[in-house]
Amino acid sequence: MTEPTTRNHPRDRIRAAFAAAGVTGWLHAVDIDSAAQIEVGADQPVVTASVHKLCLLVALHQHAEAGRLALTDQVESPAGGRTPGPTGLSAMLDPARVSLRDAAYLMMAVSDNTAAELLLARVGLDAVNETTERLGLTRTHAVQTFGEFITTIREDAGHGGPQALADPQVLARLRALDPARTNRSTPRDMTRLLGAIWRDEACTPEHSAAVRRLLGLQVWPHRLASGFPFDEVHVAGKTGSAPTLRNEVGVIEYPDHGRYAVAIFTRAASPAAALPAADAVIGTTARIAIDALRSPDPRSAGGFRGRPGA
Amino acid sequence: MDLIRHLQCFVAVAEELHFGRAAQRLGVAQPPLSQRIQRLERELGVRLFERSSRQVTITKGGTLLLDEARRLLAHSEALMATARRIQDGHSGLLRAALPPDITGGTVAAILAGFQERESGVELELHELPTAEQLARLASHDLDVGLIHHPCDVSGLELGPVLRHELGVLLPHDAAEARLETVPLAALTGYDLILFPRAHAPAVHDELLTTCARHGYTPAAVRHGQGPSFIRGLLLSSRAIAFGPRDAHHAGDPDLVWRPLSGAPLAWRHSAAWPRGRGDAAVRAFADTVTDALGRTAAPGPGVAPGPLHLRPTAEYWI
Repeated sequence: MTEPTTRNHPRDRIRAAFAAAGVTGWLHAVDIDSAAQIEVGADQPVVTASVHKLCLLVALHQHAEAGRLALTDQVESPAGGRTPGPTGLSAMLDPARVSLRDAAYLMMAVSDNTAAELLLARVGLDAVNETTERLGLTRTHAVQTFGEFITTIREDAGHGGPQALADPQVLARLRALDPARTNRSTPRDMTRLLGAIWRDEACTPEHSAAVRRLLGLQVWPHRLASGFPFDEVHVAGKTGSAPTLRNEVGVIEYPDHGRYAVAIFTRAASPAAALPAADAVIGTTARIAIDALRSPDPRSAGGFRGRPGA
Repeated sequence: MDLIRHLQCFVAVAEELHFGRAAQRLGVAQPPLSQRIQRLERELGVRLFERSSRQVTITKGGTLLLDEARRLLAHSEALMATARRIQDGHSGLLRAALPPDITGGTVAAILAGFQERESGVELELHELPTAEQLARLASHDLDVGLIHHPCDVSGLELGPVLRHELGVLLPHDAAEARLETVPLAALTGYDLILFPRAHAPAVHDELLTTCARHGYTPAAVRHGQGPSFIRGLLLSSRAIAFGPRDAHHAGDPDLVWRPLSGAPLAWRHSAAWPRGRGDAAVRAFADTVTDALGRTAAPGPGVAPGPLHLRPTAEYWI
């Protein structure tokens, strides 16, 4: 296998990195302030999975802004009937009572499915779609709750349980992997959302700051963050996953005030659940894209200067 | 009424639950789309959607008809696929592919078996690795193939998955050749001869992961394919290769084939074709391939037995 050289166009190096990791990937990276961008299939319809929790978070804060709810309102999470998940309230055994904003913290920090369902029950799927529509995300749409998403995976896997997800015929029929039949977006729509959050356009500055804080509290080190092993660089993001799918959208901020929104969606050829290379390539490709956007010669970077805020 | 066109509208609205988005997907304006849905509802005598000012929901009746509608559309696409082949002047030409590791005997059985099933169809058979087949299936330059799993199966329909357990090919004088079955860990110290990764990256990576899991991490992987290349490397350098029993030429006195202890490795194949393009000729090829390979394959989808420990980073939990 030939290693991609640094002289290749960043798009070719990104494609080569995806191939080396055994995935098909779609990427959009944009300089939030200059609108210079790098794209590899940025308009591909993709399954968002838990990335859609970011849309829900913004809708929650818009509701708070409009006075329809208070972020300190308490919400009950009984021990029974929780949405399945390996983290947060989903993994807890006893009844809990948290504020809406702390449920939002659990939803963003560890992708807690039960916390997401509690918030969605307050905000509603329609409001999430109204939020993304108002922000001009015409290719972004939620058709089901996170619990319903997981239910379709369980139903389509059938009696074989999670092991059956390694069966190619089961994978070929999973509704959760078909953007036409589940919650969806495009890489470009997601960087547009992140840009709006970072420019205080999605909500008031105070609420935008709260949204950015939660994105910065995500615990996962294995995807986007893995590409930026630099103490002075700030990483904020939200992952999304389903069998063969690994996604993350986020913003990387450098101490020179450079800030870059990036959205990466991948589909692995292998159904294995543990594929460290497929997780890490999200960081690798984000880094290639952002290094190119930061390169002094925008032509060699392959980025182009567009209208600010585009 | 053009039933197919109206059903396409029905399925699009059912999947989008939004007239504007469904219209965008179909490349039509919204008013004619709404009219078509109303016309279809009148024709069927069933209300398909509930519309309020804010949202569209599918009715119980609509849900009951949706699967039938999808099936009918799939059949209609298959019919169109056959018609296209005839229009293209290929009347009855089927473009099919097999991966390079299929044995000569199996290829002969497939050619003979296909002529028996579909004597009117001319078979244009290519030898292509899985990655190349997937690219050509996606661009509709190939009608049907036989692919190695795991691979990205988006947009494909699959025939039954067949599993061939792999054994190890060793020089006849290797110490491990005296074992009845060879544990993978006993191969430590041997290089591995394996097909080029680009042919089927996930199959390549999965094989190396399984070897590592069972205690065999080859110091070097030599990429190559073809019996004489493999034979040369096996005999001249300290290297081994994996293959199914039937791929081994039992007459070769210099090489021996031994099963692996616990059968940890297998090839998994299935026929594959673009979703909605499975016409009679495609299905005949898929059946022929399945029969020919099935003579030597183990039944079942060949999902690895044993536990699956999803880690919290998986995010889904079922």
